[in-house]
Amino acid sequence: MGTKKEIHDVVMIGAGPAALSAAIYTTREDIDTVLFEKGVIGGLAAVTAWVDNYPGFIKGVAGLELSDSLQKQAERFGADIRLGEVTKIEIDGKLKKLTTSEGDIYAKAVLIATGSDYRKLGIPGEETFYGKGVHYCATCDGAFYREKKLVVVGGGNSAVQESIFLTKFATHIDLLVRGDSMRASEILQHELAKHKDKITVHMNTVTNEIVGENGKVVKVLAKNVKTGKIISYKTDGVFVFIGLIPNTQFLKDSKIELDNIGMIKTKSNMETSMDGVFAAGDVRSGATMQIASATGEGATAALMIRKYMDPHASTGY
Amino acid sequence: MVKNITIFTTNTCAYCVMVKKYLGSKNMTYEEVNLDDQPERQAEAFKLSGALTVPVTLITKDDDTQDVVVGYNLSKLASAIA
Ligand SMILES: Cc1cc2nc3c(=O)[nH]c(=O)nc-3n(C[C@H](O)[C@H](O)[C@H](O)COP(=O)(O)OP(=O)(O)OC[C@H]3O[C@@H](n4cnc5c(N)ncnc54)[C@H](O)[C@@H]3O)c2cc1C
Repeated sequence: MGTKKEIHDVVMIGAGPAALSAAIYTTREDIDTVLFEKGVIGGLAAVTAWVDNYPGFIKGVAGLELSDSLQKQAERFGADIRLGEVTKIEIDGKLKKLTTSEGDIYAKAVLIATGSDYRKLGIPGEETFYGKGVHYCATCDGAFYREKKLVVVGGGNSAVQESIFLTKFATHIDLLVRGDSMRASEILQHELAKHKDKITVHMNTVTNEIVGENGKVVKVLAKNVKTGKIISYKTDGVFVFIGLIPNTQFLKDSKIELDNIGMIKTKSNMETSMDGVFAAGDVRSGATMQIASATGEGATAALMIRKYMDPHASTGY
Repeated sequence: MVKNITIFTTNTCAYCVMVKKYLGSKNMTYEEVNLDDQPERQAEAFKLSGALTVPVTLITKDDDTQDVVVGYNLSKLASAIA
């Protein structure tokens, strides 16, 4: 005798801003919703020190506080957030079957909101010193660098924002930027300029190797591509913020269509190429990688899911 | 059986919150050492984990054997408190 299938209206994969927002909408409509989160509830928003551009917060808001509020708001309406990882998704008759670390679960509709993970440099020393001098999360590991020197790699918003956060701890930061201009927004570059006593920016600088002695990071070797010179930056640690890769590896063998960089393709109603499976937030092809867009896409996806489950339902109010 | 649990955390670390949430969901009590408030205990966390990161969770069993879980690792935490 087989055990009874666990079936829900909606299962959401991930519990970042996109899924939590979607869950606020679905659960408020009494659509039974389970979320699976393999990492931090709140996603990348939870590990961001300070969020300055999420609407509604005059002075900005700590990432951890924002994600805590999103979680509590979703749970207020009955969202069931479980800690676990989804590893496979397939069609099973009219249902979708999800394989998870906590067992199989079935849903009438699915939302994939798995966001993305930090991209690695792929250079010598990076693996060896992972967590012991090479880091990807300033809010987690920055405190270990009080009164120490740091190198930060990257030239986008995250690199600048997190470098500024790290000045709380480090005495000095060398910011290594590969290109000849920064991708960070004007306003962040402006903020960065205010910290020039502590942060030195090096343009056209490609990071080649992280070098350690006696188990500790001591320097970073980088090449100035304009002069061809190899420069050695003495440091106690390295923080890497060079962009993100979509969390879609678990979809590799599924029928869900991805774009050429591995993000999920959707139709205008946010539905993927698999019937009843929707995608929202950073993982969706064309996403603008912002918390405000992720929460907006989450809300849209929830309304589209409602429409999918009840074709007579309206998609607005 | 678990005798006691100590978690090394910082104020801004989201993964620390998750370890606390997980242990809370299993009705486990723990002592928290916040390294922002007690930076002098950083060396202790490093000695246990060999890593410059939080959370570091130290689980002491009734027979005084100890498990150290570095980071938020659900499967390791689950087997350490089993
Ligand atoms: C350092 C940094 C600073 C940033 N600063 C800002 C800012 O100031 N303002 C702003 O608007 N945006 C900022 N962003 C971007 C913002 O964090 C993202 O756009 C937003 O978090 C995307 O939300 P999401 O829900 O789509 O994905 P995510 O936040 O990435 O959440 C996805 C969740 O899914 C989980 N997951 C993945 N795969 C699985 C699986 N198989 N099973 C179960 N769970 C899974 C992940 O663990 C994760 O928690 C920043 C990003 C970074 C990295």
